[in-house]
Amino acid sequence: MATKQRGGVDVRRKKKRNIDVKAIVDLGADYSDDDDDDDAPEEVTFEKAKADAVRSMRNALDTIKRDKELLKEKRRKRQELFQQQKKRKLLSEDTLEEIELAYTKKGKTLDSEEQEKEESEEDEESEDEEEVVNARLKESYKAVRLKDQIDANARQESASDFIKSRLYGPGTNRTTTNHMLSLKNKTGMNKTAAVQFVDKKWGSEKKGEAEKFKKRWINNQNMVAK
Amino acid sequence: MGEFKVHRVRFFDFMPSGIRCMAFNSKADRLALARLDGSVEIFNFSNNYFQEKVIPGNDSRSIEAICWVGCDRLFTAGLNGEVVEYDLERLCPKYTLDAFGGPIWTAACNSEETHFAFGCEDGSVKLFEILPDKIQFERNLDRQKGHSVQRILVDRGPAGTRNKDCVVWNVAFLSDYTIVSGDSAGKVQLWDANKGTLIKTHLVSKWDVLSLSVSENEDSIVAGTSEGTVVQFQLLSPKIGDTETQWVRTRTFKHHTHDVRAVTETRTAVVSGGLDTQLVICPLMDKVEVKSSESVLRKVIFPHRSLVSCAKKPSLLLFQFPDQLELWRLGGTDTIGKPGESLPVTRKPEKLLQLKRKGDDHICCSTISECGHWIAYSTVSSIRLYQLQCDNNNISITKVSKLPKVLRSAHQLQFSADSSKLFVASEQATIHVISVSRSECKHVHTFKPKSDVFLPTGSSAPVHLLAASADGQWLTSANRHCEINVYNLKKLKHHCMVPVYNSLPSAMAIHPETNNLLVTHADQQMFEFGIVDKQYTDWSRKLQKEGLHRCRLKWGTPVTHITFNPQAPSQVILHDMHMFCIIDQSLPLDGLKAQFYSQLTPKDTSETDKPRKNNALKICNKYQPLLHVNLLEDDWLVVVERPLIDIHSQLPAPVRQKKFGT
Repeated sequence: MATKQRGGVDVRRKKKRNIDVKAIVDLGADYSDDDDDDDAPEEVTFEKAKADAVRSMRNALDTIKRDKELLKEKRRKRQELFQQQKKRKLLSEDTLEEIELAYTKKGKTLDSEEQEKEESEEDEESEDEEEVVNARLKESYKAVRLKDQIDANARQESASDFIKSRLYGPGTNRTTTNHMLSLKNKTGMNKTAAVQFVDKKWGSEKKGEAEKFKKRWINNQNMVAK
Repeated sequence: MGEFKVHRVRFFDFMPSGIRCMAFNSKADRLALARLDGSVEIFNFSNNYFQEKVIPGNDSRSIEAICWVGCDRLFTAGLNGEVVEYDLERLCPKYTLDAFGGPIWTAACNSEETHFAFGCEDGSVKLFEILPDKIQFERNLDRQKGHSVQRILVDRGPAGTRNKDCVVWNVAFLSDYTIVSGDSAGKVQLWDANKGTLIKTHLVSKWDVLSLSVSENEDSIVAGTSEGTVVQFQLLSPKIGDTETQWVRTRTFKHHTHDVRAVTETRTAVVSGGLDTQLVICPLMDKVEVKSSESVLRKVIFPHRSLVSCAKKPSLLLFQFPDQLELWRLGGTDTIGKPGESLPVTRKPEKLLQLKRKGDDHICCSTISECGHWIAYSTVSSIRLYQLQCDNNNISITKVSKLPKVLRSAHQLQFSADSSKLFVASEQATIHVISVSRSECKHVHTFKPKSDVFLPTGSSAPVHLLAASADGQWLTSANRHCEINVYNLKKLKHHCMVPVYNSLPSAMAIHPETNNLLVTHADQQMFEFGIVDKQYTDWSRKLQKEGLHRCRLKWGTPVTHITFNPQAPSQVILHDMHMFCIIDQSLPLDGLKAQFYSQLTPKDTSETDKPRKNNALKICNKYQPLLHVNLLEDDWLVVVERPLIDIHSQLPAPVRQKKFGT
């Protein structure tokens, strides 16, 4: 009976010690573990363990803080960089002031009912801006509102391209005017030749080569004569 | 009389622009036509189909739809997304409005003429309200929000073409809830709008049906196709006495060689125009009541005004194109030949100058002075004057920079005979006299149109013809209300007004010696008015009695230029598109009609030699189609021709038509 008790007590104590060891390992202790349950665990006082735990927690918090601060720094730097780029792109303060003056001079009032007026006013605005900016820029430069121009032209181009492709694009059965007129000549009362009997583009390469040869030959003849 | 040496000029590359859309105004009997280069032309159908007004185009303007409101308001809408209203007195755009929907594909006006609808690229239909002096945006009909009553699917077409999408090019809505559609598969289909079902399909051609028009009383539909045919459908009852009517295909016309992009119908004719640049007016014989000029097929090919100016002394020709001016010096020959021979050209004609315009607006008028040292042209936004120096081979041109501020735009320009003054018919119906010299250009005087008893406000109609007398004393102007005013240049005031004749003047000139004004009108009538006596001359009254104009009416094109022979002061030379004729005022006028007909048909020369010597009228139709005829010194005649085949060879591609045996 005593042995059982002892064994029991021993087992309980061992378990407790095992638990202690586990706790120390969890807290990231520096103790090198053998991972051998047979070895006796090292003696660690409670205070030491507590201190370690606290220290490691503090470290963790510190790293988190540091990371946050680093991120903040990064963000701030990026923001500054963008602002500087923007400043470089925008007009200088003086021109902005002049534009402001020109804007207030005209004294516009927006009429919400008639959007045409709105747009025409905007055009006026842009014209004023353009005038003011033109006065400062050299003669070879011209300020235009890019977004308006590009959009409208692109849409008009695409619309006319649609019509062209439907009427003259692939799949439409089109022929040349020469062909049509030649057919008339052929089927008419007095049968005559095609309107454009010879295509001047035929044999363009050979004609080019012949020209070059002729020039070279004449050159040679001239040299020989001299 | 009538022996000349002829400069036959064919180097004027005149190229008209294709017709895009047209609208007929039945109240005013006028047709408005829009071309691919953005220009708008107005034809007066009651005035012998005369081209009354031309509004020059613009590079940035594109027109897809044209519409009349009332009698005198004209609107167009195009792919640049803008709606333009035109000022028909000043012949320029009044204002432009952006519809903010992208490219505008179609426009329609309601029958009460209160609202306009524009179909835009973004899928919405924009409604505009028509106000007396402008149009105003009202609301937007979005494609999702608007009530879609029926959704109709158009079938793709016969089996061979199924792989291509079918595009519906035109839709018309009739008052009995029938929808007519023309599509790219060549079908004209009739649908029931209430049920959304197909009533009938007519396969009209293998190519696209590009244009569709419904007559005013909705009993006739006309469709134009890509192969140049125009097909008519009429609402007829298949059995006599049956009340039930259906749409039956009746007539087919093939007057065009290229795509027909615009058709419309008047009360008595079908008007069609397309990419072959010709306007064809085909009478419908069952509607024509009286056999008159209405019953003749007409083709309008050349503009009804002169595009060529001539400087007689240095033998220079100025050609007007929409985007540039070309100055040519005529060639010459040193050989003398017999009548009927063509002489070899020893000096080739040379192109001295090509003057490109500045800005987007097209050139509307131009002129060169008699001495050849001054050139002037005008667009709707500016007038430019150039001084030309022409030493043997060197040509220099300088622009006159400081023009009087009163000059903004002109409808007609003319130099005086001694090249010291420029007459400018401005857009406000006034005529400015500018003295032109090497040192400066000064504004001398402005002539205002005289207000008549019947027109107390004074006419604001645009002036389209100017003529100056050779001695520099008289100036006459003709405007589009058929009024002709005569001004005294020495006293700088209005002299008199020629009695108004109800037809538009088409050409005008003042005789260098007798100072009689010769005017031809759109209905081929010709008058001679003595300026000093302020009345018609006896010769003119005799000419009226002969009635020559009635013969000329059918042969159709108006006279565009009148000139005189300095060697023989009694001879008058005038020309239209097909012939030029010489009228000798000193010879008797009897039997003028017979002379006219006998000379039009070719006959053996030996027979008609004797009687011809006493003819007052001599016609030559050897050179045609004519753009300009003028007389130089020493019995030289300049004839500017433009063969139609040269125009046809530069047109865009037509459809391929397979013919048996070719």
